[in-house]
Amino acid sequence: MAKKTYDLLFKLLLIGDSGVGKTCVLFRFSDDAFNTTFISTIGIDFKIKTVELQGKKIKLQIWDTAGQERFHTITTSYYRGAMGIMLVYDITNGKSFENISKWLRNIDEHANEDVERMLLGNKCDMDDKRVVPKGKGEQIAREHGIRFFETSAKANINIEKAFLTLAEDILRKTPVKEPNSENVDISSGGGVTGWKSKCC
Amino acid sequence: MERGKMAEAESLETAAEHERILREIESTDTACIGPTLRSVYDGEEHGRFMEKLETRIRNHDREIEKMCNFHYQGFVDSITELLKVRGEAQKLKNQVTDTNRKLQHEGKELVIAMEELKQCRLQQRNISATVDKLMLCLPVLEMYSKLRDQMKTKRHYPALKTLEHLEHTYLPQVSHYRFCKVMVDNIPKLREEIKDVSMSDLKDFLESIRKHSDKIGETAMKQAQQQRNLDNIVLQQPRIGSKRKSKKDAYIIFDTEIESTSPKSEQDSGILDVEDEEDDEEVPGAQDLVDFSPVYRCLHIYSVLGARETFENYYRKQRRKQARLVLQPPSNMHETLDGYRKYFNQIVGFFVVEDHILHTTQGLVNRAYIDELWEMALSKTIAALRTHSSYCSDPNLVLDLKNLIVLFADTLQVYGFPVNQLFDMLLEIRDQYSETLLKKWAGIFRNILDSDNYSPIPVTSEEMYKKVVGQFPFQDIELEKQPFPKKFPFSEFVPKVYNQIKEFIYACLKFSEDLHLSSTEVDDMIRKSTNLLLTRTLSNSLQNVIKRKNIGLTELVQIIINTTHLEKSCKYLEEFITNITNVLPETVHTTKLYGTTTFKDARHAAEEEIYTNLNQKIDQFLQLADYDWMTGDLGNKASDYLVDLIAFLRSTFAVFTHLPGKVAQTACMSACKHLATSLMQLLLEAEVRQLTLGALQQFNLDVRECEQFARSGPVPGFQEDTLQLAFIDLRQLLDLFIQWDWSTYLADYGQPNCKYLRVNPVTALTLLEKMKDTSRKNNMFAQFRKNERDKQKLIDTVAKQLRGLISSHHS
Repeated sequence: MAKKTYDLLFKLLLIGDSGVGKTCVLFRFSDDAFNTTFISTIGIDFKIKTVELQGKKIKLQIWDTAGQERFHTITTSYYRGAMGIMLVYDITNGKSFENISKWLRNIDEHANEDVERMLLGNKCDMDDKRVVPKGKGEQIAREHGIRFFETSAKANINIEKAFLTLAEDILRKTPVKEPNSENVDISSGGGVTGWKSKCC
Repeated sequence: MERGKMAEAESLETAAEHERILREIESTDTACIGPTLRSVYDGEEHGRFMEKLETRIRNHDREIEKMCNFHYQGFVDSITELLKVRGEAQKLKNQVTDTNRKLQHEGKELVIAMEELKQCRLQQRNISATVDKLMLCLPVLEMYSKLRDQMKTKRHYPALKTLEHLEHTYLPQVSHYRFCKVMVDNIPKLREEIKDVSMSDLKDFLESIRKHSDKIGETAMKQAQQQRNLDNIVLQQPRIGSKRKSKKDAYIIFDTEIESTSPKSEQDSGILDVEDEEDDEEVPGAQDLVDFSPVYRCLHIYSVLGARETFENYYRKQRRKQARLVLQPPSNMHETLDGYRKYFNQIVGFFVVEDHILHTTQGLVNRAYIDELWEMALSKTIAALRTHSSYCSDPNLVLDLKNLIVLFADTLQVYGFPVNQLFDMLLEIRDQYSETLLKKWAGIFRNILDSDNYSPIPVTSEEMYKKVVGQFPFQDIELEKQPFPKKFPFSEFVPKVYNQIKEFIYACLKFSEDLHLSSTEVDDMIRKSTNLLLTRTLSNSLQNVIKRKNIGLTELVQIIINTTHLEKSCKYLEEFITNITNVLPETVHTTKLYGTTTFKDARHAAEEEIYTNLNQKIDQFLQLADYDWMTGDLGNKASDYLVDLIAFLRSTFAVFTHLPGKVAQTACMSACKHLATSLMQLLLEAEVRQLTLGALQQFNLDVRECEQFARSGPVPGFQEDTLQLAFIDLRQLLDLFIQWDWSTYLADYGQPNCKYLRVNPVTALTLLEKMKDTSRKNNMFAQFRKNERDKQKLIDTVAKQLRGLISSHHS
């Protein structure tokens, strides 16, 4: 029998306006790298990183989406398969924060009902250019019952914490496997319990 | 009878002797009578002598008596006369005494006056003698005083002349005086003092020219610069005229200096006139900064003192030392242009001074000496420049340095120094300059590529459109007609790289100015450098970006598009070079640009990287594969990981529509082949020791998903089933096993048109073995015992036949 190199596979999705730093957040987490030049993502891309939580090897397949409207059709087709979604805005760009409500509606429309969500306010290292107060982010997260982190891909602030927290939340909702039972591909089933945790 | 004669003879002798003795007694002093008398007593004639003596005494008494008798009366008269005189004398005595007393009393003052007169006469004589002596000494003292004044006012040459005069003309006349001896003793010391002071002046002079070398050189370089500027406007004549004028001024100074040291001038107080004249004159260059008179004076002084050779040797020795100091570059000279400029100024200043000395003195320095010094200087300078210029990493500094070296060479050439070696070295520096430029442009290209956003350039107005088209020679009628906003196909780095290549060409051209190269040489050099820029520097920059760890498909696709456009622009670069060098492309031996090769290579590398990148993504999906090789269940849909994989490929090719058609096709084919190969390996890998028909059927569903993707035409341009051929091996293998069509396979094996042409018997055997193991393991199921036994027999039979095929194939 072929041996798997992981215990569980979690599929995560990054969404948000173009230019808020989704790709940079992903690169910081997967490769601990940062590129100062803004290169617009075309279509869809992904990175895979294996982490260990509660003694289990979990593969995180993280999909990075293009924020531009012209790629909307392609990117929304990936919502259905996601187990966790990160909504990213830029604290120095008020428009990107205002559009969070639009992205939340997209999730409701295209994603599984029980998908785990998280709000990220990126570029928190640029406090001198801040236009979105942290309190605003906290407020909208509270209203929607989701977790919130301010992050900086450039300064490597809260990046790993955000991903691991999201993974832990997903793991908490995953049924515990019986010893020696057949391995089941979680993503192939639709039977994940649908309760949603509240954050404060 | 004989005895009687003899006695008579003796008596005569004795008588004579006695007579002699008597005369001696009468004439000799009493003190000497002793020896005489002793001689009498020594003889035997004492008695006879006494007789004669008595006789002579009586004779003398009778003579006296007669005389007294004869003069008795006169005597008496005289006595009487004398007694009278005595009385008169007494009277006279009294009278004289009285007169004397009166005279003494009356003439006392006269005596005093006489004494005073006597003293005055004595003094007068002394004074007269003194004056006579002083008249002899005065010129000496005057000369000595003059000498001292001249020494004090540091007019040493006149002082030396005065000293000579004093020594040979004046001092001999009064050499017996002590102070003159002191002077004579001091003359050698004074002469030495003049020498020492002159030498001290010379040392000050040497220090002065050392200190001002920088200024002198700077002035000379500026004059050469001005001259060059003039040469660009007018004929060569002004240069010659300027040079003549400079020489003329130098000679004027020389004449003036000679005059100022001549005795005639000295006597006529000519120095003042000459000095005034000097002040009025405007002397260019070195004259304004340095007073050369000390060296002239010192030279004359040493010549007069007969030590000219010593002076020459000392001067040349000191100047050689100074030359070595001047030629010692500062350790950080290469850091700034000012470092080099100061170095050159010092060298130029040194040789300008030597040239001046050469032309204004008689043999203090000669052409051979200066040439030797220059040869040493040239080799040291060139060595220093080679060393320090190799540290330069700033092409602007190298370029400025080249201009400075040209100016340095031109300046010294005006003074008659050969400078060909400097121009030869400049060609070496040019090569280094090219290297420096290449390094600089490597940095520039890296910055451009790093900061590019790898997106087509958007333009929202006609103005912006024209700006981009002005920077990069791009012509597209279709794009031109489109309404705004619209996009150029290439990203920002295309016009930027193009412009930087042109800037590089300009920079190469700049260095060639003033190097006396022909247009063809310049053109050749520029093309060679540009080829290096394109084939090495830019190529490396592009390759580095393409090979970067996190390079994405976005960047790779845009690089392919960009390099296509840059390749087309190479012909315009050719035209650009032709325009600035005025060398026609058809000229024989003209170097060609090889830039197109660079862009082709970069494009190929990017394409390869796209294929690699896609395949890596496929591998990441495959690592998620989670087959249950022992399943008995029959699934009804493809594996989740594979569905995601196919969806990813589909969306990727959907969004990169701007990828050139052939590249897209190749990428798609490469991905499908890689996927098929990977799936086959997955099926056959040793770790999968057993598998069931159910597992095969699930696997088959996945392969069908792939085939569906291939049939769907993800990339335009493929023939109907070309892409699907990537999966044909898998398809035939799976069909063979699922349909258990061994009769057909074994019967048709080796036929050109057989149904399972692409199934390798080794592969089939490997897979069959995995299924046989499965069957054995299931023997314990009693209810299927018979069927399983039959199946096992069949598997064994087929395996045996396959081995036979393999064996016969090998033999």
